Formats: sequence, structure tokens, C-alpha cells
Amino acid sequence: MSGTDPLTSRIEAMLLASDEPLTARRLSAVLGEHIASGDIRASLLELEAHYSSRGIRLAQVADGWQFRTAAEHAEYIQRLWQARSPRLSRSALETLAIIAYRQPTTRAEIEALRGVKTSGSVIVTLQERGWIKVSGRKDVPGRPHLYGTGRQFLIDFNLNSLADLPESNQLLDDSDIRQMANSTNEANSNEQQTTI
Amino acid sequence: MQSTQAHLFPVAGDIRSGMPPVHLEQFEGPLDVLLHLIHSQQMDIFDIPIALLTRQYLELLEQQDDPRHQTQPSCEQKIRLDLDIAGDYLVMASTLAQLKSRMLLPRPQLDDEGNTIDPRAELAAQLITYEQYRLLAEQLNERPRLDRDVFARSIFPEAANVERPLPEGNLDALLLAFRRVLKRVGGEARHQIFVETMNVREQMRMLLARLTFGGLQLDEFLQDTPGREALVTTMLAILELWRQQNITVIQSSCYGPVTLLAKQGMQ
Repeated sequence: MSGTDPLTSRIEAMLLASDEPLTARRLSAVLGEHIASGDIRASLLELEAHYSSRGIRLAQVADGWQFRTAAEHAEYIQRLWQARSPRLSRSALETLAIIAYRQPTTRAEIEALRGVKTSGSVIVTLQERGWIKVSGRKDVPGRPHLYGTGRQFLIDFNLNSLADLPESNQLLDDSDIRQMANSTNEANSNEQQTTI
Repeated sequence: MQSTQAHLFPVAGDIRSGMPPVHLEQFEGPLDVLLHLIHSQQMDIFDIPIALLTRQYLELLEQQDDPRHQTQPSCEQKIRLDLDIAGDYLVMASTLAQLKSRMLLPRPQLDDEGNTIDPRAELAAQLITYEQYRLLAEQLNERPRLDRDVFARSIFPEAANVERPLPEGNLDALLLAFRRVLKRVGGEARHQIFVETMNVREQMRMLLARLTFGGLQLDEFLQDTPGREALVTTMLAILELWRQQNITVIQSSCYGPVTLLAKQGMQ
């Protein structure tokens, strides 16, 4: 990266030295007020473009920036460390997905959606990872805990914000589904008697 | 299998599902099982053949029983699952059975607004909602994840043989921390020392000394003991000496005088 301007070079160094995603705000605070935030942003984008074809990428996660190895090299890094991160159980993933998309939500809602009890250990595992946390209590009898995702969830799942969750906009709400169910049934109502 | 099934479902013409056997551990609950049955047979989720699905669902639960199939399976043996898990599956079984009966019974076909009423709509909605989250969970799992697919610098998994040196001791820091604790518990704690005016041991020695000259009446002995504290101490001394069998206490008659004797004096 010859010919890079001093600011970009400085930011690059800071990003490498940091062990967590650096937000533009944090960069600005360290660099000093005389640096315009627009310049910082331009430098970050320049770095992102520069690394886009390298083994290291500049990723935008949890509203910050972090150098990460490219996903396609995962196998070699795992070989290097001779370690694999533990697989997540389906129940943990489904519980996490429901919390991520419906937050804040309660355990009872999760259980109703999955049609099965959620074991306490699943909740504890997700909490220990920092992926979910109790965001309050629901104002219903029993005042159950409300769960939401934490910052670590964004960091670990390569998300810049919750809006980046895959296909969150296509998620149907309950009334949509009910409508679908009923309209399809109207079409099928003639066959119904034969299928039962 | 045929016989077990026949017990719960005495259906003529026996519509066998022909489904390969599966284990409940593969599934995340009853909704997951139903989706599996629906998709593997390409059923329309909005037009589920409830009777067939119910039969297959129960069949699947029964499969979880001993694979060798007892000849006389009892009801309790049929569904021998972990009760915690089984509960959810059984609730679904009863929901299905209820749906089946509602489909068979005459019922209003239209609601107040003129829409078709289908008892299965709620189940269909529940299945679709669950299926969405199941899919979202899969997609979430496929995202490049930190420490699994992508790695950031300076977070290294710890090897088992990492030596973790103890931090350097620092007396000043320790004292400072201690002072802070003291301040928090409200000033320096002080021991209070009381002067003991009477001493049981002393009294025991005195009593033994006097008993060497012969027996002693308790009333007499206590007469010249001044004050409540001294009385208590003397009584304790007597009891202690008695316990250690250095003296004998004799009372010849009820409410009679109590005599103290040194053990040597008796011999």
C-alpha cells in the first residue's frame, strides 16, 4: 500500500493493534478532534477496498471495524490452531434466532414458537457467550425475563447491526400467516371433504 | 410394529406410511416432526390430511419404544420417552386427535365475516411460523462466525499446557485494598478486653486447699463468698472439681446439708 496517506496508514495501524472492533467514534477520539469524521470514513472505506481481495479483510461488525481472516481460509486457520469451535445445537440456534428476530421476547414465547420446552442450559449457554442478555421484565403476571441480543452477538455473527440479519424483512407476522392459511383453504375447500 | 400399531389404530385397510424409521433425538420437538412428515410426503401445509398425519405421528412415537416390539405392549410401554420431552409430544398428539375429531364433526363452515373456517388453520400457522425460524436459525448458522470461520488477531484459543504465572505481589496495593475494605466495613475493628474479676481456676485451687483440712458444708463455704459473681464462680468451681472427680459431693438426706469432701479425704 505505497502512497497511502498518513491518516489511512495510522488508522490501519490502530485497527491491527485493537483486539475489538473499533468504532468511527473511538477512532475519532483517539486521533483528535481536528480530523474530520468524513476523512476517517473515507480512510476506512479505502482500507476495506484495499483488503477486499486479500487473506485479511476489514469487516464492519457491531458498528465498528475489525481485521479478520477471510472466511475461505477457515480450514487452514483451524489446522494451524488444531482446534475447532464447538458446534451449536439446533435448539440453541433456533432459540437464538427467535430471540434475535423477536426481541425483546420471553422464554414462554420461544417455547410457544418452537412447540417444545427450552432447557435452561440452552439459555445459560447463550448468555455465557454474551449473545443474549436479559433486557428487562415483561409486565405480565410472573414478570418473566425479556431476552434480547447483546453486542457480542453482532461481533461473533459478523453483523454490523440487527438490521443486517438475513431476510429479516421477509419475516411474516402471525396475521399474515393466518390470512394465508385461510385464503388457501378457500381454494381447497372443495377438496377438503375428500382428503379427510 | 404392525401389532403395536393395530392396538392404537384399529383402522381397516391399514394405510401404512411406509416412512423410514426415525429417532426423536433428530428432532427439535413435535413441530419439527410434523414438518418432517409433511415435507417428506409433499403434503400441502394448508391442507393437511389430519387423520393420516396423526396416525403417522403416533406411529413415530411408538417406534421410539423397544425396537424388538413386545408381543403385548402396554400403554405405558408404548411411549417410553423422557417425560420432559414426551410431554410436548403428547400435547401435540392430543391436539392432532382433537383436530381430527373437529374435522369429522359437523361445524360452521363460515365465520361472521363470511370467511371459511378451517380448524387446521391454527396448526398450519404454527407450523409455518416455526419453519421460518428453523430456516432463520440455519441461515444464522451459515453466516461466517468469529472463531469458527473468520478469525480476528489477538484472540487465541488457549492450549491446555499454557502456564499462567501468578501476578507479582505488591504489598502497597494489598495494604491499600485492605484499608479500603476497612473503610467500607466502618472504621477499624477493635477488640474489647474485659478484666475478669473472678476466676474459676483460682476458686478451684482455693477450694481444694481448704478441703485438705477435711470436709466442708456447702452453706458454710458459700456464706463467706461475697457477691453474686463470686457465688456463681464458686458453684462453677465446685461443679468442675466434681466433674474431674477431685471432690465428692454428699447429701445424706433430702434437703439436708450438702457436704464437700476431697477425694483423698475419703480414703
